[in-house]
Amino acid sequence: MAEVVLENICKTYGNNFHAIDQLNLSVEDGEFLILVGPSGCGKSTALRMIAGLEDVTSGNLRIGGIDVVDMPPKDRDIAMVFQSYALYPHMTVFENIGFSMRLAGKPKAERKKRVDEIAKTLQLTSLLDSKPANLSGGQRQRVAMGRAMVREPAAFLMDEPLSNLDAKLRVQMRAEITSLQKQLGVTTIYVTHDQTEAMTMGDRVAVLKGGVLQQVDTPKRLYESPVNAFVAGFIGSPSMNLFEATLTGDELMSGALAIRLQDAAFVRRPGLRSYAGRKVVFGIRPEDLYDSSLESGRKYQTIPAKVTSIEELGSEHIVHLNIDAVRVDSGDPDAVQDFGLASNAVAKFEPVSTVRSGSEIRLALDDAKLHFFDPETHLAI
Amino acid sequence: MTRQKRSHHKLKRAVAPYLYLSPSLLIIGLLMLLPMVTVIAYSFQNSAVLRRDPSFAGLKHYQAIFDDPVFWASLWHTLYFTCMSVIFHMTIGMVFALMLNSDRINPTLRNILRVLYILPWLFTAVIIAVIWRLLLEPNGVVNSILMQIGVIGSKVEWFSSPETALHAVTFANIWAGYPLFMVSLLAGLQGIPKDFYEAADIDGAKAYQKLIFITIPQLMPIIISISLLDFIWTMQVFPLIWITTGGGPIYSTEVLSTYTYKLAFSSYNLSQASASAVVILLISLGLTLFYIRYQKAR
Repeated sequence: MAEVVLENICKTYGNNFHAIDQLNLSVEDGEFLILVGPSGCGKSTALRMIAGLEDVTSGNLRIGGIDVVDMPPKDRDIAMVFQSYALYPHMTVFENIGFSMRLAGKPKAERKKRVDEIAKTLQLTSLLDSKPANLSGGQRQRVAMGRAMVREPAAFLMDEPLSNLDAKLRVQMRAEITSLQKQLGVTTIYVTHDQTEAMTMGDRVAVLKGGVLQQVDTPKRLYESPVNAFVAGFIGSPSMNLFEATLTGDELMSGALAIRLQDAAFVRRPGLRSYAGRKVVFGIRPEDLYDSSLESGRKYQTIPAKVTSIEELGSEHIVHLNIDAVRVDSGDPDAVQDFGLASNAVAKFEPVSTVRSGSEIRLALDDAKLHFFDPETHLAI
Repeated sequence: MTRQKRSHHKLKRAVAPYLYLSPSLLIIGLLMLLPMVTVIAYSFQNSAVLRRDPSFAGLKHYQAIFDDPVFWASLWHTLYFTCMSVIFHMTIGMVFALMLNSDRINPTLRNILRVLYILPWLFTAVIIAVIWRLLLEPNGVVNSILMQIGVIGSKVEWFSSPETALHAVTFANIWAGYPLFMVSLLAGLQGIPKDFYEAADIDGAKAYQKLIFITIPQLMPIIISISLLDFIWTMQVFPLIWITTGGGPIYSTEVLSTYTYKLAFSSYNLSQASASAVVILLISLGLTLFYIRYQKAR
């Protein structure tokens, strides 16, 4: 077990493309850190640099206090789980798990003992003689985990290991990997583009965009206090609604829309006052928007909205809306999918809501949950 | 639907596949089965083709070729020629494919090598035979170079000496045939996921271990398929040997195909030639069945 430290890590490709720019990250011993970001943000590149599968252009990289920048992968004392699992199809589960021990010339008895132990932990004992082709997706995933565990490495590196599984199995494997990591206590760096995985699995989450680290924090703090509009939009599903408005006195004004801000909003964000009379970006999560007909007791202020479509999920309704405000792009390419062509906002309503597609409604919002960002820099105010 | 209509429909459905197959079955029957059956029939006749009413000879012609030491020499030469060719085709093809697939070689150089390595494939057997006859002439380039670097002391008559002729034709055939392996293995190599090698790198595999534990097992289906096909094809090689040595000197490069050809068109012993052809057919058939069984097993 070991601490993994990245200092000013840069990766530039031959065509002068900066895949990673000045990445500073410290993963504590035994910590489960998630690297998350949209496609092409450099998260897999960062992981591959830690593994030694990509050269580091500049910067320092230490695993367990040892500088590993010029070390080949095998000497870094890490194990990696690949997105494709990289199981050898011509080898049995036993041979796959014990492959690294075989390469190291370990005697067969020792290999068998260790592989049996791991197979027991991962409930693979009955499958040791099977070939990967005869295993289900979840079993293959476990074999890949077993192959990583057999080496007792200082750190686990996982590159989107659940992306090939169906939705239900992914939820199950998410829990399995998390509990396994806690049980083994091995420092783990886990790459994913799925923010649900990021929020549910990691001790801390590092959000990357365009090769630049945006924020490293606990899932709760990322959700509650995003440092910029990108993190705000990326974390949470559906994404946070972001709009542009003018701060006039205590009110956010946009077209026919007016949202009154309470003093507490200014007390929490002293910088907000300086935006008086100027444009500001405000954000509100779909779960902080309510169907006003169900919220009369809480006295939330309401704004007019038109329902464009509804997705009824059973436990909740995802309601796509159009409100009189200009939507702001958070910079997350995946966020666009949350909005239809006709809508610019999305809300999560309780399933008892009776709103219908095409109806004009009053949307209740919890103004204490508003987030504010600078319209130029998109940094949180 | 009436009962009559239903049975008519059933019949149509049963016949349809055979109607679709009939053109190809007809062509195969006329061009392949008919000559094969005729040759088998000839092998049991006296003075086949030459006489209008040949008499039944039983196994006489088979007995004759099995008693002929030249037949056994031809069989041995065929086996040597085929085995050496397949082994070296595979080895050279594998080495060149690995080179062409390697990231360590400059991409421009790789493209040039790719063209160079595939060149032998572009030549017909006649051209290859002519090229090697010229190169291996007593006064040819090969002798001249070997003498200059001191490997040989005097000029060697590669195709004309019984000691070297079989090796020389085998060498020419190896040169002509490796590109098939190279191209097939290269395609196979490019299909091996990069992750396998990266996982092995992390696990601490050395280059030779990656070759033994990943590359070769992954290529095994291609290696076996192409080796079997190459074995079948090489066993039947005729033009290269016929043009370079004609089976000589003193039968030293006689293979089953040249032996059969000579029986048929030099000695006009068509019955015995047919018996010899049937022996070749049986060996090829055995290998083909083996190949089909292997393909089915996959």
